[in-house]
Amino acid sequence: MSLQLRRRSAAALLAGAAALGMLATGCSSGGSGGSGDPSTLIAYTGQAGDYQINFNPFSPTRIGALGTIYESLFFYNKAEVTEPVPLLGTEQAWNEDGTELSVTLREGVEWSDGEAFTADDVAFTFGMIKANPAINNGGFDGEVVAVDDTHVTFTFAAPAFVKGPDFMSTPIVPEHLWKDVNPAEDVNEEPVGTGAYLLDDFKPQAFTYKANPDYWGGEPAVKQIRFLALSGNQAGADAIAAGTIDWQTGPIPDVQNTNENFPNYNAYTQWQNQMVLSTCSSAEQGCEGPQTDPAVRRALYYAMDRTQLNSLAFMDTASEMSPTFALTPSQDEYVGASVTEPKVPMEPNLTEAASILEGAGWAKGDDGIYAKDGERLSLTVEVVTGWTDYITAVDTIASQAKEAGIEVKAAQSSWNEWTEKKGSGTFQLAIDSLWQGPAPDPYYVYNYFFTTGVPVGETAGNNYSRYANPVVDDAIAQLALLSPDDPARQAQFDAIHTEIVRDMPFIPILTGGTTSVWNTAKFTGWPSDDDLYAFPAVWSAWDAAEIFKHLEPAS
Amino acid sequence: MSYFLRKIGFYAIALWAALTLNFAIPRMLPGNPVDILLAKLQQRGGAVSPETRKAYALLLGGDDSRPLWTQYWDYLGNMFRGDLGVSVSYYPAPVSEVISQSIPWTVVLVGLSTIIAAVLGVALGAFVGWKPGTWLDSLIPATTLLAAVPYFWLALLLTYLLARVLGWFPMQGGYDVVLTPGWNWEFIASAIQYGFLPALTIVLASIGGWLLGMRNMMVSTLSEDYILTAEAKGLTPRKILRSYASRNAVLPSVAGFALSLGFVVTGSVITEQVFSYPGIGNRLLGAVQNNDYALMQGVFLFITLAVLGANLVVDLLYGVIDPRTRARN
Repeated sequence: MSLQLRRRSAAALLAGAAALGMLATGCSSGGSGGSGDPSTLIAYTGQAGDYQINFNPFSPTRIGALGTIYESLFFYNKAEVTEPVPLLGTEQAWNEDGTELSVTLREGVEWSDGEAFTADDVAFTFGMIKANPAINNGGFDGEVVAVDDTHVTFTFAAPAFVKGPDFMSTPIVPEHLWKDVNPAEDVNEEPVGTGAYLLDDFKPQAFTYKANPDYWGGEPAVKQIRFLALSGNQAGADAIAAGTIDWQTGPIPDVQNTNENFPNYNAYTQWQNQMVLSTCSSAEQGCEGPQTDPAVRRALYYAMDRTQLNSLAFMDTASEMSPTFALTPSQDEYVGASVTEPKVPMEPNLTEAASILEGAGWAKGDDGIYAKDGERLSLTVEVVTGWTDYITAVDTIASQAKEAGIEVKAAQSSWNEWTEKKGSGTFQLAIDSLWQGPAPDPYYVYNYFFTTGVPVGETAGNNYSRYANPVVDDAIAQLALLSPDDPARQAQFDAIHTEIVRDMPFIPILTGGTTSVWNTAKFTGWPSDDDLYAFPAVWSAWDAAEIFKHLEPAS
Repeated sequence: MSYFLRKIGFYAIALWAALTLNFAIPRMLPGNPVDILLAKLQQRGGAVSPETRKAYALLLGGDDSRPLWTQYWDYLGNMFRGDLGVSVSYYPAPVSEVISQSIPWTVVLVGLSTIIAAVLGVALGAFVGWKPGTWLDSLIPATTLLAAVPYFWLALLLTYLLARVLGWFPMQGGYDVVLTPGWNWEFIASAIQYGFLPALTIVLASIGGWLLGMRNMMVSTLSEDYILTAEAKGLTPRKILRSYASRNAVLPSVAGFALSLGFVVTGSVITEQVFSYPGIGNRLLGAVQNNDYALMQGVFLFITLAVLGANLVVDLLYGVIDPRTRARN
């Protein structure tokens, strides 16, 4: 996530810019925290280039409004396994078979134009989404009925436990203003929501929110929030050095010593994107190359020296990972006792790698590289030009794999081309990271990435490794029928873990860190290890909105 | 007259060829806009499920199944009507709106700096060429050095010194975002303050070329017979410098100047990246990264028109500026 935003930033400038960044870091002193007014927070989301006005919460090209202006029924904190935080909804309850969800709504909430918020607005919002497939990005197919002003009931034809978090984090819009607009194409220049903030003004270089004095949760302490447009994350790092922004998510040079270099700032890292070597894994689906042999994938898994990788490629900001793809440590409770190796080994295990390969019929050739049936064990990793940490990682993995008798080569291409190769299945390995679902539950990762994929040649969605395993498919289908609290889920998770740890269609590397740098001299109340109330990333709109509400000016 | 008709005919064909390339090249790019948009959403922490993919493919019309030929005709028709389509990366904003928001910044910043660099370079070049062999010649290696340093490096160094260490200028942006853009003094002053540093880097980086070209033309012009004649007539050196030597030596620079005006739009990509300056260069970069065909075509169209237009003007005006061409016609 953040890593990739950072990586993309002004690749051409990188060499020079990085050096300059160092200079800048070196000479800073305890100067100004001076980003103006003490109750105005200035944030940079990684937006590259100017803003084009669009506050339509359903538009993929929106620039804001989610969470801050338009609220959902509940907020799901993906950083920890916790209960959803009530926003416009106060309680939710499923019926036994997951076909009906009753939600109690908050009383006394008003839209920022003074109209009352009622259950009809909720029913209208979901009706509108269902009627407009182009904005139905959660795949809503149920019915919503307003029982009375503060109660709504969602009904579904099939059990929808796992879709609940998607729907509960759908932005709710006012019926009286939205009933006449085309929700797919309107840019909503004057957003009217229930949230803690109102749109103050918009300019292509920046837009500003102001606190909503009538917010149901009380007027927030941070009175203004301004979002700047800069050219990329390098520009963001420069702005931190100059003290002109208060929060950016994306690393700065020498990030471990942020507080010494810039006394007003602190850096905080959380781990969510699981970095992997994706493989085109399934020979039945048309993949070609040695990586279609699970033994090769497992051998590569054991060949990596992850401690070295972390320090050479990721500035020691990455953290360990579970081969089960449950986030560690926050989702460790989902990993059953049947998993013998719950975390990836941080040191290489060349004996294990060799015995796996030899067990699968590979034999070492004269050049020190394994071969089987005349085919050398040589793999190409696709990596995006300019994503410097991934390029370093692949180079490091290449030298580590050579020790284990596996030849790994890097092929750089543009982001577009890389995406195209993954989509069509014309790659062997690609370095990438997997993303999380709408709630802190590993189900979503399995559903997105491990359900049977399409053959090579057809455009793959998320499962571009083309992994196909009926046992996993079946377990995922079973999980969808079970309530999130049902203890029977564990058996299904165990089944999935056994299969994917053995097959490894995505070879786990490490969990990539998302680093926020924020001004702790100007504001207090940022998320911390003790109180991780939201995932700390300014570009993650729902989380950022929670954080804005928790902050208070320091002076 | 047939000279002008021929020229205009030639430019019409060049325009058509450029428009056709403009249509073809973006379509040869790998990837499609929906994938890129989803990848971007996912990087911003969005949960991209199969349903999301379906919805956005519907929204952006990911699959255009019409034959290429039909698309091409529609494209040409739309171009002539001035309809540039809808930008995918700024959906649903029309391309013309995205471009018109950014282009004034680029035209003013890069345009003004180009004019300043050309005028300064030509004036200095004439002066240096007038007295070859003196200490003034050392200006040449000094300015060509600046031109040879990679532009972004020069820009970063100046930013570091003037903005970060000395704090004279802001490092990033086009204006103080607290102000409202408009024709008021406060805003214009802020825009000048923010634009000074980018403009300075452009001038420093490009002045060397003008200076060198003008100086060399001056040196060769000075050996012409008419200069000798002018001297023999007893004209003052100042008069010879201005009316005889410079006027003749400047002709290639005038042609070069018109051309460089045509490249103003393209020349801004790196400047705008380094200084986070609002402008067309950023938009173009974004369009390429996002497979935003319509926006790319729109920006390319502007570039094409600017270059062709500048060339046409030079071609047509050359006869007016240079009496010798006129005589031959």
